[in-house]
Amino acid sequence: MSTTRTNQEWLHDLNANGAPQEAAIADLRELLLRAALYFFSRNVGDFRGMDREEITQRAEDCAQDALMAVLDHLSDFRGDSKFTTWAYKFAINTAMMAARRERWKGVSLDELASDESHFFDWILQDRSDGSAPEQSAIQAEIQRIIRDVIEQDLTENQRRVVFLMVFNEVPMDEVVRHLGTNRNAIYKMLHDARRKIKSGLQSRGFEVAETLALFGTSR
Amino acid sequence: MKKHRFERWLQNIDRTEDEEISCSECFDLVSHFVEVELTGQDAAAKMPGLKQHLDQCAACREEYETLRDLQILENKGELPSADDLQDKL
Repeated sequence: MSTTRTNQEWLHDLNANGAPQEAAIADLRELLLRAALYFFSRNVGDFRGMDREEITQRAEDCAQDALMAVLDHLSDFRGDSKFTTWAYKFAINTAMMAARRERWKGVSLDELASDESHFFDWILQDRSDGSAPEQSAIQAEIQRIIRDVIEQDLTENQRRVVFLMVFNEVPMDEVVRHLGTNRNAIYKMLHDARRKIKSGLQSRGFEVAETLALFGTSR
Repeated sequence: MKKHRFERWLQNIDRTEDEEISCSECFDLVSHFVEVELTGQDAAAKMPGLKQHLDQCAACREEYETLRDLQILENKGELPSADDLQDKL
């Protein structure tokens, strides 16, 4: 197989007919398979309980889906990167969704979303980390403000997404799947939540940059 | 919630901008970002909106990191074969 086509050659061959197109599609599919396998090899832990053959089959499926996506979006390629760089991202995106779906299968996101203890337990417990009493009091105040904003200012969907992704570390694509939406919508919910919390802290006299120092975080 | 994660989230809140690019826009631009970065240019300075999104979005960041590392291997002629990659599964 050839991985040394120029961008122009990739476009020419993929848009051609007959043998040149077939060869280019076969080469592209092979590259997309390697991209999917590369992602899986970095995230083998997502596939606990599956053997190599099963995981490889998932990669083959991802490569096929990515191939279709690349061919569908071929006219979007602007030539501002190598063609392969542009194409790989479709395979990586597909592979990531497959890997996370496997890792989180069987986990009830409804239960996680309704369980606020992950955050609020920390608020109650994490007071004795060696901080001076005054600093601990300010930390507790900041945590209380954040809790108030979460409870009072966020919409139900924003709150659910924050609990799932921030407090329970559920991956974006699983939340997308769970809520039947898309990455843009979930990102917007998180963005709006961050803006409200930032604003909530500022309106109560706290700059977030200052709170970072209180929690021992260097910027 | 672990304290370090809470602190990371505070950083994200601190770095929140009024306007941020979407995941779709990030997906459209990320291959160019990698191209710019791998040609030795300051991709973050050239595309600050994309860099800000990558700092905020774990999913897009992981895709970017994988894409960058894969492209580095290809540029060096060291892209593993499918068989080699299967051996790592």
